[in-house]
Amino acid sequence: MTMAGAKAKLEAPNGVDEMAEKHPNRGPQDIGGRKAGPVDVVDHGMKFWERQANALRSTLSGKGIVKRDELRRAAEDLRDYSKLQYFEITTSALRTLMIEKGYMTEQELKAKMDEVRARFDVPDEMESPLKQKAAQP
Amino acid sequence: MSAAGGETGSAQSRPSTYTPAPGHRYEVGDAVRVKRRYPPGHRRTPHYIRGKVGTVERICGAFPNPEELAYGFDGEPKKVLYRVRFVQKEVWPRYRGPARDLIEMEIFEHWLEPAGDTGGRT
Repeated sequence: MTMAGAKAKLEAPNGVDEMAEKHPNRGPQDIGGRKAGPVDVVDHGMKFWERQANALRSTLSGKGIVKRDELRRAAEDLRDYSKLQYFEITTSALRTLMIEKGYMTEQELKAKMDEVRARFDVPDEMESPLKQKAAQP
Repeated sequence: MSAAGGETGSAQSRPSTYTPAPGHRYEVGDAVRVKRRYPPGHRRTPHYIRGKVGTVERICGAFPNPEELAYGFDGEPKKVLYRVRFVQKEVWPRYRGPARDLIEMEIFEHWLEPAGDTGGRT
């Protein structure tokens, strides 16, 4: 989903009853019947970090360490769900579960991120360093 | 699936397409109403379909309950999953497409209740 789509005003539903539309337990992913605004159908590819994060999620799912339904639940519970892009949502959900299951603590994660960032500082928008190197003459 | 039947059974006894669904409450053709309930948590039934009446199109099988799996439990006992067919005009009162348009949705048995005299056995 694009940022424009995510930010679109949530307008009156297409005739669905008021309670279903307004209920506080309705998750941010449950958008059926709401106006979404223009839909961005351009394939933007995947950023370097998105490939890395997706591989990690895929591996942890494949090993049975995290389950799809758990990831969905953790994603739906994200407070800023509607402001995040797809891989930000799935990666945030993965982080929640890994901490919840005791594989790491918030402090350990932060320490590791600081350590990695110090030796491998990839700007957010940067493509794979290998790809960039290969593209140079 | 190698379950007996295929197209030889009546619509009422058509076997599951995917996995067995022992003890299922509804049959193909039964009218069912989606429960109009709004519990918190990870739920597999979108808000817009709650309270709507549809017809069981097929019995998909029995699967671990995703609403339990979502919280780290094993999803047992399994829940029967149905594909339910709704008329678009009944789901969306302001629907502008043809009256014959349908929407089909897979819904777990614990989200369904019998609807009217063509409904399921209770």
